[in-house]
Amino acid sequence: MEGNMILLLPMVLPILAGIVVLAGKVFRENRKYLTGLSVAVLVLELVLTFQALVSGGSLTMIRLTDQLTLELHIDQVSRLFAALTAAVWLLVGIYSVSYMSHEEEEHRFFGYYLIVAGVLMGLNFSANLITLYVFYELMTLTSLPLVLHERSREAVRAGLKYLFYSVAGAFLALFGIFFLAGVSENLTFTAGGVLSDSALAGKEGLLLTSAFCMIVGFGTKAGMFPLHGWLPTAHPVAPASASAVLSGLITKAGVLAIIRVVYYVIGPDRLRGTWVQNVWILLTLLTVFMGSMLAYKEPVMKKRLAYSTVSQVSYVLFGLSLLNPTAFAGALSHVVFHSVIKHALFLTAGAIIVTTGWTRVEQMRGLGQVMPKTLACYTVAALALVGIPPLSGFVSKWYLASGALSSGTGVWAWVGPAVLLVSALLTAGYLLPLTIQGFFPGHDFKGEEIEKRGLKGKEPSWWMLAPIGVLAAAALLLGCFPGSLISMLQSIAASVL
Amino acid sequence: MIQHLSLNIEETAAVILFGIGFTILLLHRNLIKKIMGMNIMDTATYLFLASKGYITGRAVPIVVDGVQEVSAYINPVPSGLVLTGIVVSVSTTALMLSLTIRLYERYHSLDLDEILILAKEEERT
Amino acid sequence: MNFVQNFPFFSIILAMFSGIVSSVLDGRKARNLSLAMIAVTTALSAGTLLFCLGSGESYTFMMGHFPAPWGNEIRAGILEGVTAIFFGIIMFLAVLGGLDHTAEDVEEKKLNLFYIMIDLMLSSLLALVYTNDLFTAYVFVEINTIAGCGLIMIRQKGRSMSAAIRYMIMSQLGSGLFLIGLSILYDVTGHLLMSPARESVELLVAAGSYRIPMLVIMAVIGVGLAIKSGLYPFHYWIPDTYGYATPTASAVLSGLVSKGYIFLLIKIFYRVLGYDNLVSSQMVNVLYVFGITGMVMGSIHAIHETDTRRMTAYSSVAQIGYIYMGMGLGTSYGMVAAVFHIFTHSATKALLFISAVGLYEVSGDKKDYISLRGAGYRNPLAGIGFTVGALSMVGFPMLSGFISKLLFATSALESPHKMLPTIIVLAVSTTLNAVYFLRLVITLYSRRRPEDAPIPETRARSSWQLRLAILCFIGVNLVLGLASQPIVQAIRDGLAMFG
Repeated sequence: MEGNMILLLPMVLPILAGIVVLAGKVFRENRKYLTGLSVAVLVLELVLTFQALVSGGSLTMIRLTDQLTLELHIDQVSRLFAALTAAVWLLVGIYSVSYMSHEEEEHRFFGYYLIVAGVLMGLNFSANLITLYVFYELMTLTSLPLVLHERSREAVRAGLKYLFYSVAGAFLALFGIFFLAGVSENLTFTAGGVLSDSALAGKEGLLLTSAFCMIVGFGTKAGMFPLHGWLPTAHPVAPASASAVLSGLITKAGVLAIIRVVYYVIGPDRLRGTWVQNVWILLTLLTVFMGSMLAYKEPVMKKRLAYSTVSQVSYVLFGLSLLNPTAFAGALSHVVFHSVIKHALFLTAGAIIVTTGWTRVEQMRGLGQVMPKTLACYTVAALALVGIPPLSGFVSKWYLASGALSSGTGVWAWVGPAVLLVSALLTAGYLLPLTIQGFFPGHDFKGEEIEKRGLKGKEPSWWMLAPIGVLAAAALLLGCFPGSLISMLQSIAASVL
Repeated sequence: MIQHLSLNIEETAAVILFGIGFTILLLHRNLIKKIMGMNIMDTATYLFLASKGYITGRAVPIVVDGVQEVSAYINPVPSGLVLTGIVVSVSTTALMLSLTIRLYERYHSLDLDEILILAKEEERT
Repeated sequence: MNFVQNFPFFSIILAMFSGIVSSVLDGRKARNLSLAMIAVTTALSAGTLLFCLGSGESYTFMMGHFPAPWGNEIRAGILEGVTAIFFGIIMFLAVLGGLDHTAEDVEEKKLNLFYIMIDLMLSSLLALVYTNDLFTAYVFVEINTIAGCGLIMIRQKGRSMSAAIRYMIMSQLGSGLFLIGLSILYDVTGHLLMSPARESVELLVAAGSYRIPMLVIMAVIGVGLAIKSGLYPFHYWIPDTYGYATPTASAVLSGLVSKGYIFLLIKIFYRVLGYDNLVSSQMVNVLYVFGITGMVMGSIHAIHETDTRRMTAYSSVAQIGYIYMGMGLGTSYGMVAAVFHIFTHSATKALLFISAVGLYEVSGDKKDYISLRGAGYRNPLAGIGFTVGALSMVGFPMLSGFISKLLFATSALESPHKMLPTIIVLAVSTTLNAVYFLRLVITLYSRRRPEDAPIPETRARSSWQLRLAILCFIGVNLVLGLASQPIVQAIRDGLAMFG
């Protein structure tokens, strides 16, 4: 083990804390210790992550074989993902303190919640493809208990589905990795790709096939068609805080993996104009459209949000598939914005379930009388996702669309923006009815149920409301002042393209 | 072809016997017959080995009347191998017979398929 | 001659003599003797390995007073040393882990017999590893079979006895073929020692004579040992045998016995028949086809199985398929992968069988999915052990199975004609593995349903030996997964010494 040991801390601390929480009897019996420790660790995690991001550098952990090492390294992309992960993880952690009090066996949730945080940090810091793969598999495995948390029949079925999709996707990707390990001595992430022309001579077809396998394989986590099926099943059964991070951050792990493979190992120039790029664009656009359509038709709130994730993460993948600097910056900014927004939305859904027990959208009429503040936050986030200026979603979609138009990908250059536009309309169609029905239920709405159950003005506790508020504010502010973020993303784009 | 076979009559016989034994061991359902098949198979191999070591016109390699040169005797190694092989096959036969007795006491049958079915039923109850 | 060079001989004879001595001891003493003997032989093997690593070459050890090409010899090199150590460790942990179950499953008076079988088993395995003489190999193959049969039938249940007779029949078919193969080889070459036989084979191949007998020899020896190691489609004795024996016996049989035969086969390939001759005679392709068929079919059978122990046994069929697939690739890379997978599979399968026992203990000794629901909470360590084993079999990174798959896949890339089928079958088989293993793992960690039958009162806690064995097995798996480099290097050097 040699290098900057500080990189190890944000990874090891939460994992150890998680194991302590799982094993310690005192945490099972005393809620105060459990939540206190968890929040403290998450705050410390945020500090340590920034410490690590500032100090930078790299660290070699262990050599698996001659050419395969587990290695950490910090570059601009890892900074982006790690900062996002640490911040959002803390907010959702705070939310869970109140939310999880309604669930059984909290220590199990918090234990795995902390472990996944550490694993995700490892994933974000990975310096080569093998390390990435190791943490990717670990992430699947450690996030599984979050899906299984309820242990009901549906949860088990959803967990199995999650696992099979993830494993199938990971092995699809693994064979790509095996191929790359065969043709290249070194799979360290390097902006613009590491493969040499001489090693690839005569194997171009195989390279494209394995690139495609890896895109589809890692795309599983990002909910890309055709392996998106786990997402709408797994999210609704998990506790709201788990579905929030699954949707907002774990899907982004798939995105990160694809960025690393395409832009840092294979190199975008090798894919430009090939069938892989065309099929990839087609798949993302299909997913964008299909996800929005399914979300539009879905009556259950959390499921609707899950379909929305399917659609929105493919916005990101669409931006990546264009292999164009502007679209790339747009895609990365959408990673941040979608993560912030989707967390706000899922946490709201959780707050509604906890306070009122409503799960279907049509039950939520008159919600504005119950929790006006929460619903206001929801509305801000929803508008941001639709892409109304000056909210954040607008910025990313702007870059995506203008990137697509200037990408020189033939017919996709204008089909893409058209699909994005249709999908934005659908997004408005599936997110805003809650706001409209909530604040303006109409004359015939008497609000008997709300009266009878004494729900009027019953906002969720501050532990829950504050994170939702912070996330909604972030969705607003990032849209108003995107300058520094975008310029950072553009510098990343310039380095890889 | 025929000439070849008749020249190597022992080997031909050994291979045929081996085939017979192998088939019986593999396909017959009766345990006792299976064990017989196994013995035929082993014996066939010993016939093969012994005939390889035998050289026409020479004597058993036991020094009795002072003849010392090698050319007077047959190759002793295969005979030694056959002896070892017989010991091995006796012990496996004994083991299989004792197992067969156990199974017969339990299920009153020597038919392997029937025994398997009975054993499955026994476990279920 | 260095004193250390006696160690292989000492270890074989020590194992055999403790078997003999155990016949007059009572069960407990036989058990302790057995454990001590395994520990000592493993240490001796370690000494041998260190000696070979130090000298950088293999050596032969003359048994009796007849020098080559007549006498009997033992040969020790790096690969033999590594394998012997590994077999010793697995054997020790398997015996340790199943200790209290052995005492329960076996009648008190016959307990020493069980340990005699264990001693003889180890002795014959070591002999198979070390021997340089083909007929000695045959004799120890038979001893191994008898000991294996004894281990199965010592549990006096109907299923285990019928399994034993089936095992015996299949083994006899295999050893019959092996013996006739040896006889023909002796006929053609005039040698039973591996090194001189190899020279004659080379001369014959160079002269182009005895083509058909050589082909027959390869086929008959290959198929004979394949039957004994349970390669698909000769596998049908496996599920019963592994499924109904006492846990130690299951772990030893699945983890070691089949591997002993495979090791012998590899040794014969390299040291007698010449791997290049096998490649040019297309024999390896036959093994390859059997191997990849087994990889898929074994997994499919496993998916259909509801008894988890039989499921684990069927998974062995698939894993043996992996090993033969690696051997069949026809490259030295493939062979390295195959040998590494021998280690992976021994360690992992023994871990699975032993930790499964801990789960059955808390589920009323039932082995179906429904009874095992939630068993991971009732016996956490066994649950973790089983999960680690299952993940390793599926090929989870940082565990031994991942390195195996990596080696198989990279070696497949070296052989252009077999690359595509190998990679596809690896992918399919891995996914199928994931289906049945992870389904079981999730079952272990799901909540019991109200309609499930109540669990009968069973022991509160596994014995410390079982828990220790599980921990050590997990450790072995992690070592193979994280520190594979020196082991792979040793395999490479060892195979080069075979050459």
